[in-house]
Amino acid sequence: MNAFKPVLTEHIHQKDCHTLPFYKSVGGYKALEKVLAMQPDAVIQEVKESNLRGRGGAGFSTGVKWGFIPKDSDQPKYLINNADESEPGTFKDRLLMNKTPHQMLEGMIIASYAINCNTAFIYIRGEFYKEYQLLKKTLAEAYQANLLGQGIFGSDYNLEVVIHRGAGAYICGEETGLIESLEGKRGWPRIKPPFPAIEGYLHCPTVVNNVETLACLPHIINHGADWFKSIGSEKGPGPRLFCVSGTVNNPGVFEEPMGISLKELIFDRAGGIPENKQLKAVFPGGSSSAILTAEEALDVKMDFEDLVEKKSMLGSAGVIVMDETVDMVQACLNIARFYAHESCGQCTPCREGTAWLVKMLTRIVNGQGKPDDIDMLYEITDNIGGRIDFSKGSFGKTICPFGEAVAWPVRSFVEKFENEFRSYIQQVEAVA
Amino acid sequence: MPLLKIDDLEIEVKNGTTVLEAALENGIDIPYYCYHPALEIVGSCRMCLVQVEGMPKLQVSCNTFVGEVPPERKVDGNFDMVVQTQNDLVIQERKNILEFLLLNHPLDCPVCDQAGECYLQDYSFKFGNAHSRFDEDKRVRPNEYLGSQIVINHNRCILCSRCTRFTREISGTSELFVDERGYSSKIAALEDRPLNNLLAGNVADICPVGALLSTDYVHKNRIWNLQKKSSVCQDCSVGCNIDAFYQKRKIFRLNPRENQDVNGYFMCDIGRYGFHRFEDLERVTRPLFKSNGIFSEISWDTAIEKIGDKFNGAEEKVAGVLSPFHTNETNFMLGRFIKGIIGTFPHIEDEEITYPSGFRISSDRSPNKRGMHDVCPSIVDDLASEINDKEIRVIYILDNEIDKEIDETWNKILTKMDFIVVQAYAMTRLAKSAHLILPGLAPFEREGTITNDQGRVQWLRSVLPNNGESRPDWEILNLLYKTGERFSDINELMKGMGEQFPSYSGMTFFKLGDQGLPLNGNLKT
Repeated sequence: MNAFKPVLTEHIHQKDCHTLPFYKSVGGYKALEKVLAMQPDAVIQEVKESNLRGRGGAGFSTGVKWGFIPKDSDQPKYLINNADESEPGTFKDRLLMNKTPHQMLEGMIIASYAINCNTAFIYIRGEFYKEYQLLKKTLAEAYQANLLGQGIFGSDYNLEVVIHRGAGAYICGEETGLIESLEGKRGWPRIKPPFPAIEGYLHCPTVVNNVETLACLPHIINHGADWFKSIGSEKGPGPRLFCVSGTVNNPGVFEEPMGISLKELIFDRAGGIPENKQLKAVFPGGSSSAILTAEEALDVKMDFEDLVEKKSMLGSAGVIVMDETVDMVQACLNIARFYAHESCGQCTPCREGTAWLVKMLTRIVNGQGKPDDIDMLYEITDNIGGRIDFSKGSFGKTICPFGEAVAWPVRSFVEKFENEFRSYIQQVEAVA
Repeated sequence: MPLLKIDDLEIEVKNGTTVLEAALENGIDIPYYCYHPALEIVGSCRMCLVQVEGMPKLQVSCNTFVGEVPPERKVDGNFDMVVQTQNDLVIQERKNILEFLLLNHPLDCPVCDQAGECYLQDYSFKFGNAHSRFDEDKRVRPNEYLGSQIVINHNRCILCSRCTRFTREISGTSELFVDERGYSSKIAALEDRPLNNLLAGNVADICPVGALLSTDYVHKNRIWNLQKKSSVCQDCSVGCNIDAFYQKRKIFRLNPRENQDVNGYFMCDIGRYGFHRFEDLERVTRPLFKSNGIFSEISWDTAIEKIGDKFNGAEEKVAGVLSPFHTNETNFMLGRFIKGIIGTFPHIEDEEITYPSGFRISSDRSPNKRGMHDVCPSIVDDLASEINDKEIRVIYILDNEIDKEIDETWNKILTKMDFIVVQAYAMTRLAKSAHLILPGLAPFEREGTITNDQGRVQWLRSVLPNNGESRPDWEILNLLYKTGERFSDINELMKGMGEQFPSYSGMTFFKLGDQGLPLNGNLKT
């Protein structure tokens, strides 16, 4: 493992690493040149074989997703780069955009070529204003160098890239919410079917890929699917950017192979916990993943399979570390409040349920909890997100996975730290 | 065709039918709120969840399409889809959704206009919990006007978004939208564009709960006090199908009734609120004869005698004024009776409006111009000048649109007349000009057939009872005929009309039913 050399972030500490000349000097756009000589189907095949799985959160196979785009349709196809990075504890895409925007752009052009798309979008989180300004320069550089526009690299392939800034809603990171937003509508996720690959942006076939996913593409093309598969875990291979935050000495983004142990990530890369406090809990994949206890956290590999086995998920690989001083009931309220604020309000369970959770948790934190509240928290979270049954897949009850994104973490807090909830409630009983 | 098994029912359905449609068509009650057959499917209320075999999650039946699957994927080797709508899992999920919907609901059914026809009330009663587990404060918001005639009670709103989709997709006016987000979401109208389009009243109809209210009906009555009759709107030549809700002699509300060949699911506010203009009229309920400028009541027999006195021997000099506001039967009877000339008052045109969804308000704001011409082909183009040319001195007039019928020209014509008979239900300007008024029925009391501008014959059913001695308009005209030539009832009349005008032959109320029939010979089948 120690022999691993960063792939996506190899050059981020070098001067002017965001510029086109620098990127070209380290082999940038070689993959694009190669791709333009390939058949689009061959590109899709290569990516399928690499077993690259989406880095946005759901972990769906990128090649398979591309394969859903109808070949016989004469509608325009669209690629959307999902740069609406909003998951709490996740800040990897921002780094990639800041430091190696051309790597992401090269990935976008490769993906666009593969799905026969001539207009691609970057949907960037509204708050990323600096990155937005930088990306505008990146695009200008690319157009100037004929990496975008008409007849790229002397081929007959054309591609326009448009940047669109989001207006600050978490839900616009959900791909169909994003598409609605991009169409100028309210960011309400769409009911599926139809899936975006069939009817996406303006009812045309559309692929939505995450920034990090796209950034992997040039490397897969350059080094081949076998090379990619040789990195990290077998079922979800490749390098991965882990964002470690919370109570650690050295928070930040760490590029590691899939399957690195969470223990190593926290105690080695992130420098452990300040003042040698005890580890209490960890979100392994952003705040919408079920929380892990210290015991679980010290015994888990950071890949899709192992985390699912622990009834959590890799999600966006946003690792949030909590030490022994963290009050889990308050942390749970904090999370619930975030999701209640960000619920789009379309589906009944999510709109009403998230607010109910917040009201109930607030009451508990304010010392007015009741013994029944614990059971109610289980029931409400089940009714919003469905009971998690990993053998049968998710049991979500809403149009998009937001319901699960609030229900699972909140439920996991109650499940794993029930005694803390009970002690809040018992304080009340003692006073009474 | 795909074979669908839904509960114990095995049905063949059209490819691409949704589970919800299939269920509703086959009498299986799946509850739903956000779904409306005329609107885009959003699947957001989550009420219509059902269990589909082979799918891990419950599926919203409004967006689950049944299609033919290859033999190896058929369930039990036979079915293209197998759906459970009544099992414990599904019923429990309905309970859960209802619990969420009722968290912030004020439960004010006793003062809610929707009570008695409220899907939230009905489904809560059927599936919901008897007690609330919600111990927190409810979200409370004041009512707001969305437009001049639509009020929203936010506390009752379940955010199904039917109304916003209606203004986007049906009226195309887009006044309504969901403001704020998540738990704070609420229906709002754009600040500079209140909900004042002519289809606005429909949002109160399609609201499945008591959130959107028409100020015209709010707190006026309770639905269980009202009786309902299907009829047809008489405010333009489209002939939207309606349900009229009334108590005793008063109409309280008109609602559109589905007819895919006419109005779809909707009606306009001109028709919806149009009934009020008949309310405060001074009614005529007995035959009235004017002598020395003063009307006095006379009997029907005397009235008919007086007409005989004036008409007999001078038949060629009598003019008849037909009315596009009257039924085919009434116009037919008058047209047949008059031997002189027949025609109409000048036609009043208004604005023609067509909405993006195809919904239309006709410029012809009378219900039966087409039918009147069909059954009275000898209508003259310019009755006024014909009357002058032929020196007509006796005229028989069917009432028209209230106080809009006579202009300057006609005023002059009427003052020259020796004898004017007006068949009317109210003391309008026209009626006042008469020498003899025969009390007919008001628009919502009439029964007969009317033909819309697309050539569809529809059954105009009477909603309200007759007043006093007033009689159906066709029957009054029937009295003018000699005893042997009279029709025994309206069915005989329709038969007679059909004999004379073959496109109307074979027509009966029974055949027309509540959806009507197109002309062009279909009536015979």
